[in-house]
Amino acid sequence: MRAPIAFVGSEVTRRVSQLGALARFFLDALGSFGTLPRAGRRVARHVLVNQIWFTALQAVPLVIVLSGLLSFLVISQAVRELGRFGATEIIGTLMVVAIVRELGPLLTALAVAGRSGTAIAAELATNKVMGEVDALEGMGIDPLHYLVLPRLGAAVVSVFCLIVLFDGVAIAAGLIAATANGMSTDRYFDVVLRSLAFGDAGVSIGKGLAFGAIIGTLPAFHGLRVGRAPTDVPIAAGRAVVGSIVAIFLCSALFVAVFS
Amino acid sequence: MALLRFEAVALPGGAVCDLAVPPNQVVVVSGPEDSGVGSLARFALGLEQPQAGRALVLDTEISRLPRAAALAFRRRVGYLPAGDGLLQNLTLHDNIALPLRFGTGLHEHDIEGRIRIILTMMHLTVVAMSRPAQVNEEQRRRAALARAVVFDPELVLMEQPFDGLTDRAAAELLEVARGGVAAGGSRRTVLITGQDLPHLLRARVDARYRVARDEVLREV
Repeated sequence: MRAPIAFVGSEVTRRVSQLGALARFFLDALGSFGTLPRAGRRVARHVLVNQIWFTALQAVPLVIVLSGLLSFLVISQAVRELGRFGATEIIGTLMVVAIVRELGPLLTALAVAGRSGTAIAAELATNKVMGEVDALEGMGIDPLHYLVLPRLGAAVVSVFCLIVLFDGVAIAAGLIAATANGMSTDRYFDVVLRSLAFGDAGVSIGKGLAFGAIIGTLPAFHGLRVGRAPTDVPIAAGRAVVGSIVAIFLCSALFVAVFS
Repeated sequence: MALLRFEAVALPGGAVCDLAVPPNQVVVVSGPEDSGVGSLARFALGLEQPQAGRALVLDTEISRLPRAAALAFRRRVGYLPAGDGLLQNLTLHDNIALPLRFGTGLHEHDIEGRIRIILTMMHLTVVAMSRPAQVNEEQRRRAALARAVVFDPELVLMEQPFDGLTDRAAAELLEVARGGVAAGGSRRTVLITGQDLPHLLRARVDARYRVARDEVLREV
């Protein structure tokens, strides 16, 4: 009887201490902004721009397809079904609550976590395995400054911008779906804009920042914790993406609990 | 005064290292891989902490400095890690320029001028825009050494710098690390660690040490 309890206890302790290490890593990464040398800012900015190019701009087609298809399918079904009961009013709530506030940020973050989160973890793990992280330290360059901070910043900016794009495309695709199913443009904008509150935009922004921070931190954390074996690289990438997905869902649930 | 000193440093293999590297000297410490000789440079830079003893660079124990001060101090030392430690996603040119871009307030134009000189000196001009994976081992090692001396440091630490190189290439790299000749010997102080030193270079170093079972002995 004692063995299973001890196992559960040690597992819980391990998870909690890992959570603590992750929180400390995040705070260290944030704090490293204050110690970034003036000369290093130019280099860090260059890495940041490259990361935004990869994380945000290259993901634009994916986000447009996801958002457009989701919104088109949901709104065309809704107009058809709700129109039978004369309840097209609800389409506004459906668009704002389900797509703009909940699914938009969630799907965008999941897409970025799958695409860029794995890439960040694999890249940093390779840096570690190849001795590049030690070489940076040896040259007097803090890996947090050069590797982590720009990726964290880029993830936050990218996820936020992609969520805004997702919402914009969703509203446009919803309009196409609504008009194709016999709803007038004025009526569509009327019901959508009436349902859209300032708080919804705030929640969307908050989620963009939080999800971006998760995608910038977790993969970097797992990537830099590998040992010297090349086989650690795919393990780190796997942990990063699974951890990010779980954290994004938990964070999303937290937003629902706090702001609903 | 020694530029680099190891005081009763316990190597991972069990030997105790007590040695001083005087200024303008080239000192080699060799030993089998499991002796832990490869950790000496890491101890000196404070990247690793020995189980016992201490490593002093310019009378400073880097591992005891606050993080920002330790990072700044390391910029005064040239470090060529085992392998090469080049960043795979940067070209050789950008790898060499990285310490200057990150650690100095130099204008990009001045950095470019300095890099061009180093690339020419290291015979890397043709492959400067290639990434490490696209060039051969000797060129990677040359680029890594160029990066280590780009600040023109007083002290250079080299881990297994000549593995897999021809004697001629190794001699050339050693000359670059020495930085020319000064009144007291080399212009720079150099510590080389590794498993063995090519025969051709034995006459070109000032002192050779070998890790024996539990101590580090000077070779005659």
